[in-house]
Amino acid sequence: MKALTLYEDRNTFIHHVHPINKLIYIFIIIVVPLILPLFPVLIAGIIMNTVLLLIANVFKKSLPIFGFVLLILLTVLIIQGLFHAENATPLFHLGPLLFYKEGFFYALQITLRVLNIVAAFMILVLTTKPSDLVETLVRKGLSPKIGYVLQSVFQIIPQMLSTMETISDAQRSRGMETEGNLFVRIKAFLPLLGPVVLNSLIQTRERAMALEVRGFSSLRHKTFLNEVKNYRYTTFIQFTLWLVLLAAIIWRVVL
Amino acid sequence: MNKSMWSFRLSTASLVLIPVAVGINYIGKTLASVLKLPLWLDAIGTMLASMLGGPIIGALSGAINNVIYGLTMDPISFIYGITSLFMGLVAGILAYKGWISSWSKAIIVGIAVGLTAVVISTPLNISFWGGQTGNLWGDALFALVMAKTKLVWFASFLDELVVDVPDKLITVLISYAIFRGLPNNLKQLYKSNNKIESLD
Repeated sequence: MKALTLYEDRNTFIHHVHPINKLIYIFIIIVVPLILPLFPVLIAGIIMNTVLLLIANVFKKSLPIFGFVLLILLTVLIIQGLFHAENATPLFHLGPLLFYKEGFFYALQITLRVLNIVAAFMILVLTTKPSDLVETLVRKGLSPKIGYVLQSVFQIIPQMLSTMETISDAQRSRGMETEGNLFVRIKAFLPLLGPVVLNSLIQTRERAMALEVRGFSSLRHKTFLNEVKNYRYTTFIQFTLWLVLLAAIIWRVVL
Repeated sequence: MNKSMWSFRLSTASLVLIPVAVGINYIGKTLASVLKLPLWLDAIGTMLASMLGGPIIGALSGAINNVIYGLTMDPISFIYGITSLFMGLVAGILAYKGWISSWSKAIIVGIAVGLTAVVISTPLNISFWGGQTGNLWGDALFALVMAKTKLVWFASFLDELVVDVPDKLITVLISYAIFRGLPNNLKQLYKSNNKIESLD
């Protein structure tokens, strides 16, 4: 079964940083460029993210996602460069197309901002096991029931995918067409989806019963199976991150 | 019937519906891309959860769906979690008010959910992407309207409208088709204040 996560199991410093600190880091990376809307700040953020991805040894793994984002951003650059509302100063020609300075820089700002945010999330996603993140959040006060819901998604989706494959094979062996013109493909959608949905909805009844008999809705205080992981320099990193935010606010107020 | 559709006493059955809804969303999206359909169809689970469990379960399914996508595949989907949340909410409220009793009513629900998605996503698109949706046809329209009128909000609204309303309409109709086919004892399971909670 294919695991549903981008998480890369490595033994680097970043992998041993507390998940909450990674969340705070994302918050800071998004908020600081909003407080200080300058190109150098955004670029510094992107460089910082890249360095952290490199330290975590997951930079290569993040490239396909950046590739996808960059493709969309390229269309933003073209459309805004050509048609942005405040376009006035011509910047350069590309064949018959005239790109304008205002739209180009607006698009550049969007591009850098999106890359910055995506990179910050990639640090969290690629270096944190989803179950560790959920467990940390439950320890910090998230309802254990919601914690269960989040955890079980990671188990249910691979299960449903293999059910889907079984059903596709079954339907194909009965002669159902899944290739051809659009109408044929549309007609195939419901017979493929329906049984998977019905199957998994009926399973929820059994899962609900199994949970009930194990005291899922008991009001007693729940304990944890796993011990708290040993995360490194938690207080120090958190302190530094808030300090960066404070520095950004002071810079904004003073300048 | 439930005492109130806003009942916060989430039963175990309706809670386990949420991961299944996220799974159905994922399967729908996967099938749509395997069959090369020109739509996303990635909210069928959320819509079913709204029809079965009401607005709270629908909204939770939508939000959790995007959080999971964000954590596993596509960080940008975090931002659109709020769109999914409102889609689940609107579908749940309409379902509770009895708007999923016939095909013609289901069409209205589909359009309402589509418009909800447009209204919530447009400001997100503008602040995040400068107004585009990332869909080829929608963005071509966006470029055309921008070239003619220079009205970013209008262009972005149209971009989102042509992309989202047909997709959400068909999503709701597919969900309704499945919902109609579900056995009654299954539909009863998720109604939170029912006596059936004893789970025979």
